[in-house]
Amino acid sequence: MPTQPNKPVATPAEKPAAPILIQMGIFAAILFVSSLISALFPPELPVPTPVVGLVILYVLLATHVLKLYQVEKLGDFLISLIAFLFVPSGIQVAANLDILRTQGIQIFIVMLLATIILLVCVAYTTKLMIWIRQHVFHGDISVDADVDGDGS
Amino acid sequence: MMALTATPQMASWGQWLGDALGTNAAGANAGNALFGIFLSLVVFLIGQWLFKISKGFFLFQPLFVGMVLGILVLAILAHLFGTDTATFYRSAYLPGGNIIFWFLNPATIAFAIPLYRRNDVVKRFWLEILLSLVIGTSIALVLIYYVARAVGMDNTGIASMLPQAATTAIAMPISAAIGGNPAITAMVCILNSVVIYALGDWLIKLFRISQDPIGAGLGLGTAGHTVGSAKALQLGSIQGSMAAIAVVVISVVVDVVVPIFAMLVGLK
Repeated sequence: MPTQPNKPVATPAEKPAAPILIQMGIFAAILFVSSLISALFPPELPVPTPVVGLVILYVLLATHVLKLYQVEKLGDFLISLIAFLFVPSGIQVAANLDILRTQGIQIFIVMLLATIILLVCVAYTTKLMIWIRQHVFHGDISVDADVDGDGS
Repeated sequence: MMALTATPQMASWGQWLGDALGTNAAGANAGNALFGIFLSLVVFLIGQWLFKISKGFFLFQPLFVGMVLGILVLAILAHLFGTDTATFYRSAYLPGGNIIFWFLNPATIAFAIPLYRRNDVVKRFWLEILLSLVIGTSIALVLIYYVARAVGMDNTGIASMLPQAATTAIAMPISAAIGGNPAITAMVCILNSVVIYALGDWLIKLFRISQDPIGAGLGLGTAGHTVGSAKALQLGSIQGSMAAIAVVVISVVVDVVVPIFAMLVGLK
């Protein structure tokens, strides 16, 4: 693996943000193309539109076709809304209250444990992988904690 | 119970409200989308307010409060209109709810931005990230299978639980394909997000994964999907970036691994 200098790619956008309608247009175009690509996957191997779109936007950014200043204002705004956008999904449970009435406790216990299991399994496997990189391959594991200061 | 149709005057009020909510024509025509949007905003804002005045009590997370209050309001209104909650939800809430729900499409692709901002980490650790997600999720699948078995779930229940690491749009068809109930799977996927949003910080401290930003991010993205990514982003830019990549990779992992696993344990 090539040793990259430990230099973060993120720099504050030098240019002023693109007009919001242009940013919306970029998002709409990516979503439209993604929906076409998503439809190509067979039903046994579903890949939904937003997942395709995430990959497309990442590739466009990584290949410098799009610049951060063209998408980040709208993108950061949408991400800040994410908890609210999930409210209708949460209320969707109202359509299935009868399932909860009969097997609610079972479902709830398994769901709660499964969430913790997924979090812990993936996090600990990552810990192991990074330990292997450090101790078996003597790789560099240092990372800059935060480059753009939006962490807590 | 106080029926809304107690007096003639009340009946016209009920008629007027029913028209607005789309409950009059036996739920056939969708009502006014504004009710769903308004209700979602109000319950979420109440959640934010409760979260603020309780100084961050975990049960008062805005998403959780919004969900519980919203269902409660719908159940009470359905009772007043004399329909069941599911029917009332579909005719009165869903038109507005769907409009908000649609915005999850651009909001999900927006996670490419925090992912790209930490492209330095992605480039250096891509192999570790991929291996961790594939191996970690596979181990988790086996554990979830045995937990579900242990609480006495039948094959349909277990099959509904296995695909929950993926986002709803992937988990539902996979669940149906391996003999599960997609409605349960969708509910579980949403509840995952709610749990991670409410308990994420605490779980990360409890299991001592906070010193490891890559692991914490990948774990939050796997367990909490898009909401987990938003949570991870609050912890730091690396965590957010890793959670975003987890959402994408896990989608493909669940697509491929869950049907094979279900076949191996003989679910279908």
